Amino acid sequence: MKRKILIVDDAEMNREVLADILEDQYDILKAENGREALEILKNSRKEISAMLLDLMMPEVDGFAVLEVMKTEGWMENLPVLIISGETSVKAEKKCFEYGVSDFVRKPFDNMLVNRRVDNIVNLYELQKELQAKVDKQTEKLRIQYKLLQVQAEKLHKTNESIIDILGTVVENRSLESGAHIKHVKGFTKVIAERVMQDYPEYGLTKAKVDVIVSASALHDIGKIAIPDSILLKPGRLNPKEYEYMKSHTTRGCDILDSIEDIWEEGYQKVSYEICRHHHERFDGKGYPDKLAGDDIPISAQIVSVADVYDALISERVYKSAYSKDEAYHMILRGECGVFSPKLMECFRNVKEELEKVAAAQGE
Amino acid sequence: MTVQECYEMIGGDFEEVCGRMMDEARVKKFALKFLSDKSYGMLVEAYEAGNMEDAFRAAHTLKGVSQNLGFTKLFEISHEITEAFRPLQKVDVSAQMAQLKDVYDVTIAAVSQLENA
Repeated sequence: MKRKILIVDDAEMNREVLADILEDQYDILKAENGREALEILKNSRKEISAMLLDLMMPEVDGFAVLEVMKTEGWMENLPVLIISGETSVKAEKKCFEYGVSDFVRKPFDNMLVNRRVDNIVNLYELQKELQAKVDKQTEKLRIQYKLLQVQAEKLHKTNESIIDILGTVVENRSLESGAHIKHVKGFTKVIAERVMQDYPEYGLTKAKVDVIVSASALHDIGKIAIPDSILLKPGRLNPKEYEYMKSHTTRGCDILDSIEDIWEEGYQKVSYEICRHHHERFDGKGYPDKLAGDDIPISAQIVSVADVYDALISERVYKSAYSKDEAYHMILRGECGVFSPKLMECFRNVKEELEKVAAAQGE
Repeated sequence: MTVQECYEMIGGDFEEVCGRMMDEARVKKFALKFLSDKSYGMLVEAYEAGNMEDAFRAAHTLKGVSQNLGFTKLFEISHEITEAFRPLQKVDVSAQMAQLKDVYDVTIAAVSQLENA
């Protein structure tokens, strides 16, 4: 099927001459004035490959046609060539402002008109083809992106379940009940969210907080590598036993290191940080690496406070429980470790929330 | 009468129009179509009725058509009248209108000769 060209000119002579130039290659539609042209455009502009438009016509003139086309957004997909006896540059500029593709003055050369129409029709065809291709690709990408999201979500869940499984192992191995791990997670969440809110310099985000909370379950995983004689010993450890006990931090890291390629780097990194450094002290006198200040990863700093707080308010084989209020003040007074002032500020501000979490979990 | 002789008679540019329209047969075909073009009649009617807007548009059309056909003399005088009408105010162009009539009549008479040629 031939492509269609719409010729709009009030003089029959002009329509005839233009049709004569183009009718070998194109099907010609004709309109005697702007009104007829708009009627045709309204119904069948999608079938038309180009429009030749005269400017001076009775009633609805060429500019009025352009105005409607612009308002309706028809200029984008339909190339317009002005064929006019108008010699002023002003009229020509005005036409190009409307977005016409070309401006041909009368008297026109038949071959040049033919070539210009061919060029513009081909250009728009090509553009339409490319646009269709781009749309197709975009749709493909959108679907792939969606798939990736689903996969990421799945991976995320896998990571969480790995941590939960490991956490359960720790719970079963150690005397500390499963409640401890749950408590530490709860306290970690409260403190970490406060740090995120008050100290943006640590770069915490909601997603990072989620990872820290989840990974906090593993802080004591190294304890599964501590012999029962030490781990479950009622009463005080001697110095040698205590040194061995301290190695649960590095032993935990060895265990995490051996789990490769299964979980996301973010999870592994944070789990590792927490496992290794949750017994460091802000003054550099902790273990195993004697890190000081903010050299201690913020994840480990947070879990460290949560861990100590829960240890104080829980009953252990070697001690009875302190009240939450006592525990709160002991930590702030620095009786149970040295923590960053910023962290202590956060801790001070979340007293009630921590107590709520503790109460909700039945202590 | 040949098309070229006709163009010489009416003060047209035969070579130029042949170049643009590509061949003589097509020039002849459209020159003959000029016989049924209504713009001259519309121009005279509107001018006499004092309807300057229609007069301007008809003059403009006549100008465009004659220019495209290479009817140089007719184009020149219709161009002059078109510009006189452009402000859309009443002007006395009776001298030019008389001149236009002369040129138009000659053009019609000469082109009519092509019909049976």
